[in-house]
Amino acid sequence: MFKAIVSASTLRDALDSVSVLVDECKIRLNEEDLSIRAVDPANVGMVDLTLDAAAFESYEADGGVIGVNLGRLEDIAGMANSGDLVHLELDEETRKLHIEMEGLSYTLALIDPDSIRQEPDIPELDLPASIVVEGAQLDRGIKAADMVSDHIALRVDEAEEAFYIEAQGDTDDVDLKLERDDLIDLTAGPANSLFSLDYLKDMNKAIPKDTEVTIDLGEEFPVKLHYEFAEGLGHVTYMLAPRIQSD
Amino acid sequence: MRLDDYIELEVNERAERRRLVEEKSYEIVDHLSAFETRFEETVQNGDLFGSVSPSIFVGRSNYPNVSTGLLSPVGNERDAARFETSAEWYREGVSIEDVFERRTSLLNSTQRSPVETSVHDAWDGFLGVQREVAIADRPVQVEIGLNEPPEIDFDVTPEDVATPTGPRATARDAAVTENPHVPRAIKKTLEDDDWAAQGAMTYLYNRGFDVYDINTILSAGALGQGENRRLVPTRWSITAVDDTVGQFLRGRIWDAPSIDTVEVHRNEHLGNAFWIVLAPGQWEFELVELKAPGSIWNPDPAAGMWLAADAEGKEGRTSYVEETAGAYYASRLGVLEYLESIGRQAKVLIVRHVSDDYWGPVGVWQVREAVRNAFDGEHGEAETFGDAIRGVVEHVPVSMAQLRRKSTMVSGLQTQLADF
Repeated sequence: MFKAIVSASTLRDALDSVSVLVDECKIRLNEEDLSIRAVDPANVGMVDLTLDAAAFESYEADGGVIGVNLGRLEDIAGMANSGDLVHLELDEETRKLHIEMEGLSYTLALIDPDSIRQEPDIPELDLPASIVVEGAQLDRGIKAADMVSDHIALRVDEAEEAFYIEAQGDTDDVDLKLERDDLIDLTAGPANSLFSLDYLKDMNKAIPKDTEVTIDLGEEFPVKLHYEFAEGLGHVTYMLAPRIQSD
Repeated sequence: MRLDDYIELEVNERAERRRLVEEKSYEIVDHLSAFETRFEETVQNGDLFGSVSPSIFVGRSNYPNVSTGLLSPVGNERDAARFETSAEWYREGVSIEDVFERRTSLLNSTQRSPVETSVHDAWDGFLGVQREVAIADRPVQVEIGLNEPPEIDFDVTPEDVATPTGPRATARDAAVTENPHVPRAIKKTLEDDDWAAQGAMTYLYNRGFDVYDINTILSAGALGQGENRRLVPTRWSITAVDDTVGQFLRGRIWDAPSIDTVEVHRNEHLGNAFWIVLAPGQWEFELVELKAPGSIWNPDPAAGMWLAADAEGKEGRTSYVEETAGAYYASRLGVLEYLESIGRQAKVLIVRHVSDDYWGPVGVWQVREAVRNAFDGEHGEAETFGDAIRGVVEHVPVSMAQLRRKSTMVSGLQTQLADF
């Protein structure tokens, strides 16, 4: 059983954060929240999302799992104005999702959840550094790096208590230095890892510019990016595997 | 074979090479006049002549109003097949000179057609003849009526994808004067106009047709879904076929186990050296090109090494390559064929060093065949990818620091979440 009403903007924010990595996913309709966990086909990037029941105008669910085509669902959500309310209801018999908004109704065929890639286990990582920045700062660093390269280094200088976003291209270099005062918070630790910009750019697209992003970082380890949306009732964690220079 | 053998060049004049190639200012001219003589001997009764046509050519200038042509080795009909670009050229060991000689010996009889011309059922007229030549598996006897004497010319492009073309003339009409032999699989892809081009291409590949055959058929618009069948400029169809077949092979090794050790394979062909580093891990590919000062793309001898690179991850690219053009897809095909044949996947870095011995662009077949043939015989092994790269750097005129800046894979290899 699943029946919910949610604002179009909250629904879109949730879907966008997942669709930057995968085309289809399983949605877990838990009693207390809705959750999605997915890894991209190359096993490089992962997303873990929960949207609390309180983020909905109304929410009733009993632990079912549905499989959806994200592109299709985003298109439908895109038909609503951001303030509009979207009604969702699962038809258990036909295995279809009924979606209604402002007089428009849409019946979405679902995908057999068993045919969707398995949800990943979240690696247990002990990441020594943690940086909290505004989404806009991260966005600025990623955009600048993209002008010169297709990979980006994230680094913490413990002595300087500074966070660096750096990129080296054929001829040009980009270097964004954020000191303790520029950051919302910093737990300094040994941290320096290289990442593919293709992935980081996609993740960055979904991160609201006015939100706080927590970046957990280590030495040649995956990075974790956490942020909240829907007034703190939606939580997203991205995890991205690094590129490692061979000795 | 060096340009210096023909023209006395001061060192500071070597920069003129590229211009010389483009302006056909050297021995190509001799081939062209040999063609002229042969043509006059062969074509006696006015403008109509009989020949055989091993292949076709679709130009891309003035796209979408393209020139579409039948290639025929006028006066050399008996061994027409060797004038057609194929893997055979590598086995035969042709030189750059040989390529130019063969291409200057091929008359391109052309007509202009808009690409939107329905070629779906074009069996009549010039396009019909062109299609018959494209789908036949051996040179086809044709009779061609020309509007004018051939323009004695030679066309090389610095992009170096399509093989150069020689003299051309506008054709009034053409006719097939035999019943050409068409292999069954090609008949099948031709007749099924509900079959998307990509599927039809991989079907032919799996039936043993090489990319050279498939690219000719695609170029003539003789496969794909009916309404999508178009004339495709040769240069584009070469890359399209390399890319499509490459994607198919990449899919075949998606779940394949990784190779176990770091291998370095090497081959050299027509002034181009290829270093192919295979490392354990999931598929990732990069082509790095080093173009020596004095080679065709980098004519200024004082310019220093010119570097170009493009790369893809496990899931491939979402956009056309920016710096390495057709060489990217041709070299990727060569290495994917090898990996698929051993049922393994790998991280692959190819370093192509173009020396100043590569004085004229012969077409991207040169890259494809050099990579395809790099896996026979002995190869080197290294402890790590880093060791292998350091080994390669000793043999190419570029520093580790330069390479690290240019190459995505040398900067760092992509790991997976499951590695942690």
